[in-house]
Amino acid sequence: MTDAPLLSVRDVTVRFGGLVAVDAVSFDLHAGEICALIGPNGAGKTTLFNAVAGNVVADGGNIRFRGEEIAGLTPHEISARGARRTFQNGGLFPELTALENVLVGLHAQVASSFLGLLLGRRSAVAEASATARARELLSTMGIASIAERKTGALSGGQQRMVEIVRALATNPPLLLLDEPAVGLAPAARQRLADVIRDLAHRRGIGILLIEHAIELVMSVADRVIVLNDGRKVADAPPEQVRADRAVLEAYLGHA
Amino acid sequence: MKGRRAFWLLPLALLPVPLLLNPYQQYVLNTALLYVPVGIGFNLVVGNLGLLAFSNVAYFGLGAYTSGVLMVQIGLPWWLTVIPAALMGGAGGAIASIPALRGVRLFYLAIMTLAFGELMRWTYIRWESLTGGSMGMAVPTATLFGWALDTDRRRFYVFLALVVLIVAITDRLLRSRFGRAFLAIKDNEIAAAAMGIPTDRYIVLAFAWGGAVVGVGGAMLAISVGHLTPVSFDLTELIRQFAIIMVGGLASLAGAIVGAVIITAAPQVFISFPGFDELVFGLLIVLVILFLPRGLASLLARLHPAFVERYYRD
Repeated sequence: MTDAPLLSVRDVTVRFGGLVAVDAVSFDLHAGEICALIGPNGAGKTTLFNAVAGNVVADGGNIRFRGEEIAGLTPHEISARGARRTFQNGGLFPELTALENVLVGLHAQVASSFLGLLLGRRSAVAEASATARARELLSTMGIASIAERKTGALSGGQQRMVEIVRALATNPPLLLLDEPAVGLAPAARQRLADVIRDLAHRRGIGILLIEHAIELVMSVADRVIVLNDGRKVADAPPEQVRADRAVLEAYLGHA
Repeated sequence: MKGRRAFWLLPLALLPVPLLLNPYQQYVLNTALLYVPVGIGFNLVVGNLGLLAFSNVAYFGLGAYTSGVLMVQIGLPWWLTVIPAALMGGAGGAIASIPALRGVRLFYLAIMTLAFGELMRWTYIRWESLTGGSMGMAVPTATLFGWALDTDRRRFYVFLALVVLIVAITDRLLRSRFGRAFLAIKDNEIAAAAMGIPTDRYIVLAFAWGGAVVGVGGAMLAISVGHLTPVSFDLTELIRQFAIIMVGGLASLAGAIVGAVIITAAPQVFISFPGFDELVFGLLIVLVILFLPRGLASLLARLHPAFVERYYRD
């Protein structure tokens, strides 16, 4: 991977009052690469992730996505540029069906304007093509059968899949997955791992993954970044991280 | 959405109805009609967008006084005041959305928007030179292209046309990605933004369109009653408007229509038993909320699939 990184994080710092949640963290992520962020609770993983997605504004440092500075942009602007995220505890719209959830994911690609609607232009054509696309996306992930069901009533595994389909709806080059395996049964985790590998290695999507399920991380990640107390303590392939002293210390505790 | 075209027959079926009504009944029907946009605008913000904004009477009053003042002060014919009334109502909606854009939600938003409505009422009382203060102002007879709208029957046809137009456009809006975005914001605002939806812009849009539609209702009120007083835009009026969407059904266009008809007609049925009408009114609200939490529109949806709105939720 000699090309320019897809995502380049440089010295990003986030403070909450006196607490330094993320302390001058830097890393690169390339297209087709799966990079896992791990670390104990409170290490700053989610904060760093939120800084990339625009949900938290970094106090310092640069975040470049496809060569463009995105630090300070709003979440919808970052999403529109092709960095799409999922959420830790259900980021779905529970009252909407799986299909409608994916349609919201396609929002920016449905060509209908407010003025057009006021002046009487129907959005039926735009809606129909978006709906066809959403159905196709659901079926490529093998969940076409739940299209008309409200996502609030789906199982955890199904919800996670709908959320991934929804995030992928616009063919984003970067996917940010916040603890996708939490609460999933072993079979569903296995399936999730296959999906993540396929997205990165076959479709060339860059994936930044926060995950506590260490066996999933070790099986899918090309690289593992370990955070502790807001600092990066390791950044290496999984087998190397497994043997790292600093990582063990981070997990086993230190003074 | 099969059979939806049949809904166009409904206004057609209403065309001969005035022949069957006495003038008072016609006035009541007109009132029900003008409350349709009032309910639609309120429902858009509270039902679809899910924000507890209680400034609906402010847009109603803005529309009514804009129409009345333009007729009285510069002698505009009524039909030329409808668009300005919509614009003023829409501007009121945009202003009322400011606290929501600052992240104010739930009871805090409710009380701030409530205050906006009261502030507007205070303005109608104080700005006597324009509004006639608490004594109110007389609204001249409306004209439409020189045709005097001097009877309730004549006004009925104009109101019906306006209501059909508003329902058709709002229906189109709610069935597009805009309507879907409103529901997404209601369900999970942060996730909606992560899907590329500029949530702030959509919140302003829902408030402004809602306010504009309610403003048109206000312009209809001005000529229907012929006299505007600040009392028409007080808390009791707000509760009546809230009852329209609660009884009719939240996040439902059909709900706003059914609610407007029921809330207007119900007290009339018991008008010969003074005091009893309010009891019936209260009882109706309690019964619907207890047994039909999605409002009377959910009954229609159970009756026939054509009534199931695409984003209707049960």
